[in-house]
Amino acid sequence: MIRSHFLNMVIFSGLVSVFFAFLTQSDRRERLKVMTILCLSMIVLSLIVAYAMYFFPSSR
Amino acid sequence: MRSKGVSAFVACVAAWIVPGGGHYYLGKRKRGLVFFLVVLTTFFLGILNDGRSYLVDREQPLSYLGTFANIALGPLELVSRQLTFGKLAYALPADPNDAEGVRLLAAMRRKVMSVTNEYGTTFILAAGLMNILLILDAYDIAIGRKA
Repeated sequence: MIRSHFLNMVIFSGLVSVFFAFLTQSDRRERLKVMTILCLSMIVLSLIVAYAMYFFPSSR
Repeated sequence: MRSKGVSAFVACVAAWIVPGGGHYYLGKRKRGLVFFLVVLTTFFLGILNDGRSYLVDREQPLSYLGTFANIALGPLELVSRQLTFGKLAYALPADPNDAEGVRLLAAMRRKVMSVTNEYGTTFILAAGLMNILLILDAYDIAIGRKA
């Protein structure tokens, strides 16, 4: 069981990035580029959204 | 232009039964192996994180989509369904007081109580959705729409 939110997110982003890189690209260099861009975008955007949600009041 | 010597139907069925199997059948062996490993890892991380399978609930239309995404994973999905419900159930009975329905909901609630259930369920759903894309990709390659 992986209890860390961040670790789960990084693993998920990594797996999805590898999947889409291999699905959409055939050149090795292009795959690596897509993989890196996708993985970093998912992690960074998630952190931005998570930080933005901090300012929303809780419903409770 | 149709790829020679391959059947689009066999490619799609192979892709459904074994993630990446369609690509392997079409001669894209390295890609097939990578897809197999990625989908399998995603699925087993879902199992490890106490993820659950979906049941069709007539009162919740989105449960149809969740169940469809689960089934898209092929025979692997039977593992998570068995682990979630203790049997291969796919729908809640229409009667809310039905003993079987109560038992299935209790089994689902036991999974939901786990702190990592949301992650696990997301991983399992993502594995199913990836396999749908793999089936469509194998079809495109088989009919010659994609190299």
